[in-house]
Amino acid sequence: MEPILSVQNLNKYYGDQVGCKNMNMTLYPGEVVGVVGESGSGKTTFINSISGNLNPDRGKILINKDNEIINFLEISESLKRLLIRTELAFVHQNPRDGLRLDVSAGGNISERLMSIGQRNYGNIRQTIFKWLDKVEIDKSRVDDFPRTFSGGMLQRLQIAKNLVTSPKIIFMDEPTGGLDVSVQAKILDLLRKLVRELHLSVVIVSHDLAVIRLLADKIIVMKNGEAVESGLCDQVLDDPQHSYTQLLVSSVLQV
Amino acid sequence: MIELNNITKKFTLHNQGRTNISVFKNLNLKINPGEIVALTGPSGVGKSSILKMIYGNYFFQSGEIKINNYKIDHKYPRNIIELRKNTIGYVSQFLRVIPRVPTIEIVMEPLLEINFDQEEVRERAEKILLDLNIDKNLWNLSPLTFSGGEQQRVNVARGLIRNYPCLLLDEPTASLDNVNKDIVLNLINEKKDKGSSIIGIFHDESSRKYLNAREIDITKISHAN
Repeated sequence: MEPILSVQNLNKYYGDQVGCKNMNMTLYPGEVVGVVGESGSGKTTFINSISGNLNPDRGKILINKDNEIINFLEISESLKRLLIRTELAFVHQNPRDGLRLDVSAGGNISERLMSIGQRNYGNIRQTIFKWLDKVEIDKSRVDDFPRTFSGGMLQRLQIAKNLVTSPKIIFMDEPTGGLDVSVQAKILDLLRKLVRELHLSVVIVSHDLAVIRLLADKIIVMKNGEAVESGLCDQVLDDPQHSYTQLLVSSVLQV
Repeated sequence: MIELNNITKKFTLHNQGRTNISVFKNLNLKINPGEIVALTGPSGVGKSSILKMIYGNYFFQSGEIKINNYKIDHKYPRNIIELRKNTIGYVSQFLRVIPRVPTIEIVMEPLLEINFDQEEVRERAEKILLDLNIDKNLWNLSPLTFSGGEQQRVNVARGLIRNYPCLLLDEPTASLDNVNKDIVLNLINEKKDKGSSIIGIFHDESSRKYLNAREIDITKISHAN
């Protein structure tokens, strides 16, 4: 099997400041890669740089689209936009950043569908209902504005909005960040099911090691903009080799 | 078949004065198909470490581990993930699950990796839960609120619902009463008869005898303590 996404020697600077440097990652179909580290370690810079939100300064991002390798940083802006609408999806920590609050829930979900040319109202409506059902939002809420939704519902709506066009690669920045723990459990369960059912490939950033342990197959530990350790998720968490990872793992509070 | 050749394992605790703890040097071990190996020795001697190295949770410094001739190589996490999906089952001591997910779904999950027929998988999960005396009323509840023995049986159900060529069992009967212990031991024997290579830690001698296990005293080969 070939990787669906491969990041090679990626660097992003803010002036003289290091955002992230010498980052490498391979993501296979159906795989979840977790990126962890303290705040300021470069996690969000990294995920933004590989998802088209930021322009990295150096490095390669190779995306495998139907066995054709696309050099993401060297394609035209329009092709890049198309890829971002179809093959890629980005779930923000704050669902309000990923949703249009003055457009109905159904309108939010249909946006990506329409942007790739779907016009049949009946089909679109059906797809919307299918996705509301998948993310466990009552169908009766389809015409309500997201601003009337709770935080957990907003996050589920954002997930539906992103996954409706069956993107292959999903980027998530702290998807359970601002949610209380009972809602967090529900989102984690949803994400795991979707990954398995739809064979999604996911890059997920979180400072919460427990979330990463439950979701991720592989892990990248970042510090000061660089990866200090990476590998099989439970090996890195159970038997960390680098001093910083050991510090991170041993700092988690036990409940 | 599980093979460990010349394994060296040590822990370096960077934040605690760079303490080095050597656990194994030149560890060799082989578990044949249809065989049960029981690791014995006092706690802290490295029994679980062996299981974790085989499963890939623990890194090792040198030597090689082969599972049905596939090497455990941490440079290629993808291969370990595939091995786990297809070849190695692991019943750990503790249940680690997402809160609020129903027991039946937790048990179904490993089988759903390879079988996409929800109904068939559900039937298999129901059968093994019945075999393990988990009350039907509990199937739709999260196991996190169950008793220790019930949680352990859910863990066993999850690990034994498939027929893995290799099985790792970390105290699968530790908190079970005698009736349920015998049920679990019988399930393990069934897996052995189907040709699994099984390695485990069983705290009581009667279990080891019942399973007709080849006992290996880790004290003699471990460097810990």
